[in-house]
Amino acid sequence: MKLAWQNIIHDRGRFSVTVLGVSFAVFLMVFQGSLLVGFLRAASRLIDASDSDIWITARGVQAFEFGTTLESRVREMAAGVPGVMEADRVCMAFAVYRTPNGKQQVVALVGADPNVGKRFPVPDVPELAGEISPDAVLYDVSDRDLIGVPALPTEVEINRHRASIERQIEGYGAFLGVPFLFTSYRNAIRYLGFGPDDAMYIVLRVGKGYSVSDVKQNLQGRLPEVDVLTRDEFARKSRMYWTIKTGAGGAILTAAVLGFLIGLVVVSQTIYANTMENIEEYATLKALGAPKSLVARIVLTQALLCGVVGSILGLLAVIPVINHAKSLISWIYMPWWLPVVMVLPSIAMCSLASIASVRNALTVEPGRVFRA
Amino acid sequence: MRKNHLMNGVIEDAGERTSNAAALNLRRRAANSAALAAVEQLEPRLLVDELKSSRFLGVESASVTFGKDGARVFALRDVSLAFERSTLSLVMGPSGSGKTTLLSLLGCLLSPDEGSVFVDDVAVNRLAETEKTAIRQKKIGFVFQAFRLFHSLSAIDNVALGFELRDPKQPQRLEMARHLLNQFGLGDKCNQEPNELSPGERQRVAVARALAGNPPILLADEPTASLDAQAGRNICQILRNQVDEHGKTVVVVSHDPRWREFADRTITLSDGQVEQEERNL
Repeated sequence: MKLAWQNIIHDRGRFSVTVLGVSFAVFLMVFQGSLLVGFLRAASRLIDASDSDIWITARGVQAFEFGTTLESRVREMAAGVPGVMEADRVCMAFAVYRTPNGKQQVVALVGADPNVGKRFPVPDVPELAGEISPDAVLYDVSDRDLIGVPALPTEVEINRHRASIERQIEGYGAFLGVPFLFTSYRNAIRYLGFGPDDAMYIVLRVGKGYSVSDVKQNLQGRLPEVDVLTRDEFARKSRMYWTIKTGAGGAILTAAVLGFLIGLVVVSQTIYANTMENIEEYATLKALGAPKSLVARIVLTQALLCGVVGSILGLLAVIPVINHAKSLISWIYMPWWLPVVMVLPSIAMCSLASIASVRNALTVEPGRVFRA
Repeated sequence: MRKNHLMNGVIEDAGERTSNAAALNLRRRAANSAALAAVEQLEPRLLVDELKSSRFLGVESASVTFGKDGARVFALRDVSLAFERSTLSLVMGPSGSGKTTLLSLLGCLLSPDEGSVFVDDVAVNRLAETEKTAIRQKKIGFVFQAFRLFHSLSAIDNVALGFELRDPKQPQRLEMARHLLNQFGLGDKCNQEPNELSPGERQRVAVARALAGNPPILLADEPTASLDAQAGRNICQILRNQVDEHGKTVVVVSHDPRWREFADRTITLSDGQVEQEERNL
C-alpha cells in the first residue's frame, strides 16, 4: 500500500489537480445545497416559528405569503371544538412602506397574536415588555438598506399610517426581494384595513390528551369551507409551492440538482482519469504477480485519499463563502448535516469511479509490459 | 566520476567473479555439448525426445494468432521449445518474428490458441488466471526493456516491492532489498528514485527486483536495448552469473549480438517459427 501513498505524494501536480476537482465538486454541491435548503427553510420559516399544532387557512391557499381572509366565525367555531386549547390569529399582506426620507417600498407586513409562538417575531410578547412598545414594528437586519432607518426608534409610514420601527431581528430577511415587517396583530389589521375580527390564518394549539389528527378531522368536518392542516402539512405545502410552482424556486432546485450531478460527474471523471494515468504501473504490477485484490486496494486507497482530502478542502472553502454570502442572500443556510450529505456521495462517487476505473486496471493486459 | 568509478568497480568485480564462473561454464558447456553430440550420433531422435520430456520451461506445438478472419496473423506457428534448468537461452529474430509472444507465453501473460506451455512441469495454459498470477508471483522474475520501475518508489522500495509481492508477510524485505542492491553495486543509491538513476543503474534495480524472492526463472525482454555498451555488458554478466552461481533459468529476448557470448543456446525465430537453434560452445 506504500505504492498508493507514494504515487499520490510523488505526483503532487496530478494529486493537486485531482484534489482540486473533488474540492470544486464538493464546493458546488454544498453551496447549491445551501441555497436550496435555505430557500426551503425560508419558504416555511414563519409557519415553523409558530408553536401551533394546526393551521386553518382559506380554501386553496398554497403558501403563507398568499393567504386570504377568513370569516370571523371560523375562529369562534374552531375554538369551540373539543381539544382546541388556544386559537390565535395571524395575518400577512403586502403594504406600502415609506421611509423617513420619503422613499417608497413594498413590504410584507405580518401581524400575529402574542401567543402564536416563542420564536414568532412579534413585539407584544411578555419577553419584550418594557423594552419596546406593544405596537412597535420589527424588521430583519438583512433588510436594513431596504427599510432605510438611520436609527431606532424611527417613525415611518405603513399604508399611510404612522408606525414606529423599534427593533432589529435576525433570521426573517426578505427572500423574494420584499422585506418583512412584523408587528402585533391589532396593529397589523389597523395598517392593513382589516376588520377587528378578520384573520388570514387561525393557529390552533391542541390540549394535552388530544390527538392532533383527531382534532384536525373534527375541525375539517365542522368547517368544510376552509383548509385545516397540521403545521407540518402547511409548511410542506408552502415549501412545495415555492420550490416547484415558482420560477425562482424551480431555478434554485434545478441548479441544486445540476450542481449535485455536475459535482458527482467531476469527481468521477477526475478519479477515473487519475487511475487511467497509472494504468501502465498496474499492468506491471499484474505482470509481476500482484493479485487483483492488491491492485484494487491500491486504486481504491488512492481514490479515497483524494476524495477525503478534496472534500475537506472543499468544505474549508465553502463555509466562509456561505458565511460571506449571507450578507447578499440572507436566507442561504447550511445545516450541519448538509456537508455530510454532500461529502458522503462525493466520497462514494470517488469509490465508484475508482471501481469503474479499477476494472480497467484489473483487466489491463499484463503482456503490454513488453511494449517499450 | 563517482558513478563511473562505481560502475567500473561493479564490472571489475563482476569480471573477477566471472573468470571462475566462466571457466565452470565453459567446462559445463563442453560437457553438455560432448554429451549431446554423442547422444545425437547414437540416436538423433533422442535429443528431441529429451527436450519434449523436459517440461521445466517450454512450449509444445504452440500457436498464437492475433486479429480476426482475413486480418488474422500468426505470431507463433506450431512452435516447440524446451528450456533446460540453469541455462541462459537467447531468443533472437527480426521484429515480428514472435520473440515477445514466446516470452509472454513463458511468462504466463498470454495463452496459446493451440498447444501447451509448461512452467515448472505444470501445463499453465490450462490454469485459471489466478493460478497463472500465482505462478508469475512465485516462479518468474521479469526484466523489461523499459525497466518498468515504479517511478514514485525509491530503488530500495522497488526491490522491496518484489519481495512483498512474493511474500507479503516477509518482515525483512527492506534489509533483503538493501542486500540485493549492495550486491549489484547500488548500495549508495538505495534511496534514489528511478529518474535519479542512470539507465544502467535502473536496469540493475529492475534485475534486483526480478530476483527478489529468488524465483527460479528470469525472463528478460531486450534488457540491454536501452543501455550503452558498458552498462549492457554489465547486465549480460549479471544474468550470466545468476545462471552459473544460483542455477537460475534465464530466457533473454534480444537483438543484441553481445548476448551470444553469454548464452548457452541461441534460438532464432522467423515468421513465428523456429528458424535456427544452436548451442554455444
